[in-house]
Amino acid sequence: MKVLIYPPNSLILADLVERRGHEAIVLMKEVAKKVRDPELDSPPMNITEEDLKRSLKYLSVEEPSGVRGRVGLMIPLLDDAEAAIIVEDPDPSFGCMACDVANDYIEYMIRSKGIPTLIVPYPYTEDAAKVMVQNVTDFLRSLRS
Amino acid sequence: MEKEIETRVVMISPDSTVTPERVRILASELDLDITIKETCFGALIEGAKDEVREAIDAIRKLDENGIFTKVRGFPIGDPRVCRATRSGGPRPGFHQLEAEYRLLPIIRKALDAQSDDKGSIQWRREAKLSAKRLSEIIASSN
Amino acid sequence: MEDKTRIAQISCGTEYSGVQAKLNEVADRSGIKLIYPEVELEDVADAVSEFGYLAKSPGLNLMIARAKSVVEDPSVTDGIFLLTCFKCAEGSIVKNEVRKYLQQKTDLPVVTYSTVDQVKEGGLMIRFEALKTLVTRKTLLMRTRQEGITMGVDSGSSTTKCVIMKENEIVGTGWVPTTDVIQSARKVMDLALKEAGMKEENIEAVAVTGYGRHTIGDEIKADLVQEELTVNSKGAAYLADRQRGEATVLDIGGMDNKALTLNNAIPDDFTMGGVCAGASGRFLEITARRLGVDISELGKLALQGESRSIQMDSYCSIFGIQSLVSALGEGSSKEDVAAAACRSVAEQVHEQQLQEIDLREPIIEVGGTALIEGLKAAFEEILGFDIIVPPYPQFAGAVGGALIVSAFVK
Repeated sequence: MKVLIYPPNSLILADLVERRGHEAIVLMKEVAKKVRDPELDSPPMNITEEDLKRSLKYLSVEEPSGVRGRVGLMIPLLDDAEAAIIVEDPDPSFGCMACDVANDYIEYMIRSKGIPTLIVPYPYTEDAAKVMVQNVTDFLRSLRS
Repeated sequence: MEKEIETRVVMISPDSTVTPERVRILASELDLDITIKETCFGALIEGAKDEVREAIDAIRKLDENGIFTKVRGFPIGDPRVCRATRSGGPRPGFHQLEAEYRLLPIIRKALDAQSDDKGSIQWRREAKLSAKRLSEIIASSN
Repeated sequence: MEDKTRIAQISCGTEYSGVQAKLNEVADRSGIKLIYPEVELEDVADAVSEFGYLAKSPGLNLMIARAKSVVEDPSVTDGIFLLTCFKCAEGSIVKNEVRKYLQQKTDLPVVTYSTVDQVKEGGLMIRFEALKTLVTRKTLLMRTRQEGITMGVDSGSSTTKCVIMKENEIVGTGWVPTTDVIQSARKVMDLALKEAGMKEENIEAVAVTGYGRHTIGDEIKADLVQEELTVNSKGAAYLADRQRGEATVLDIGGMDNKALTLNNAIPDDFTMGGVCAGASGRFLEITARRLGVDISELGKLALQGESRSIQMDSYCSIFGIQSLVSALGEGSSKEDVAAAACRSVAEQVHEQQLQEIDLREPIIEVGGTALIEGLKAAFEEILGFDIIVPPYPQFAGAVGGALIVSAFVK
């Protein structure tokens, strides 16, 4: 199954999903497509005009461009997702996206999509790490059935 | 159709006995058409997706719960994210990887402890103290 | 490419706004190399706690940490370019506080910008040019007193101005509407020379600014050719005797309007508008003509009127004039119409431009429109600030040029 992780570039989450034989939908794959696209004469670091336009389906032009760009970049990932894992209240440096407003909105988009979604704690402590790993494993197993 | 090229980050948990050098040597001995770059955290591996995955499977066996991996957006040595061409300042995403690197030992412990028979663990975020409870504490301390 | 000016980009959201490639490209063309100050992850929390502002967005906290790393070692860069997304409330707060912090703790020039996805190249270019000037001509800009005999020529889009200064005094001025760029410049120079009772060979150094500066600079072999942001700022601060501390310069031109924010007479941000004549001096000119008075009389007339007695339904110059004409037809006084026109321009500049920058007191109004007293009064009422109109406000750019170029006097 295609499992969206959030934060969308977390090494640990992506690894846990792949360990269980699922496909992790991660931001890096979206970036990889763009940076290798010879059609883009000046490949952007992260987003294209298309990403900004795409976000207008969800956000008004009033939103700051950085919020729209981030949301626009996430939309294809969200469209692909069959399940999702969200880390609650992650440390800001953990596989983060740097804009709090965009983070909140993207999390809302995932939650309101209606796909199986697991919320796990951030591994601030060993116990929390155990909950994270165990619950991800259990969630991924339940997806298979 | 051209083969899909993939670049992957391999990260070795700081508590592992496996060294980046060992990963590089193992990957180069696999007789796969891949590029390997040793890094301070582990390695970067690039090539056709199938071959990269094959290499990853072999590398993981060195330390099943202590080696982690994910896809990387930019190819190895891409000047757009190279520290040298960005004139100081690490490439985007470096700090995040660094933060996750530090968490790997406790993730390893959790992986060691987890079992398929156990169900999910119930948890909830620690609630904030209510104002009522706070006033009780204040009252009782007088 | 070692001769490039190093500018530290301290920003949030540029990559996700799709503008980073543009920034790099325009910087490169302006002879600027953008650099990214080094920050370690563990430094971020410390930097934020020392700075005292914990942003919700990690990207903004990283900005704070980057600013702190520049403060700790300012030698890594020659200047700073601060950017956050336009309309991001938190970003704008952090950007402004980081700007003040950098200005207090370093001598580095800081220029700010608000990122939009369709970034205007002109706006970026002039900022990079200003940064380049601020770095490469730092000693020139530190000059606070004019010496010798110097001339400043300001070739604007609607008028050309010239000022001759001698030992910190203005001794000659010239002003004409711009037609042919070179001929207009020649004309104002002659006017100023005549008033000063001097000949061209008496002038020891000449500076040219304004949009025709390169053409004129080549023609008259000027000693200094410099973009208008830094020159106007310097001239306005000098004329208003506010060369230290913060200030805002407001320049309502014939065709476009500029608002610049200053720290010690050095600009760090500006906004420029000019798509609509309804928000410019042109609207006041048309109003004066309809009222049958000279533009120089309009301001005094406006002071005697009550702007609110006339309903202005539109800011558009065409419809706006219609409102004024019909008000006249309904028996409104010339004074009320003049006041309403001034208020209309001030309101529009306020709503469309001034909200893009952080206004700092005092506000120095320059440009020919500063002489229209009713406009100054309208701005004071809307903004609630006292506004300084210095002497010679229409010559601010030319004065700035004459002041700076006196560094070339031997």
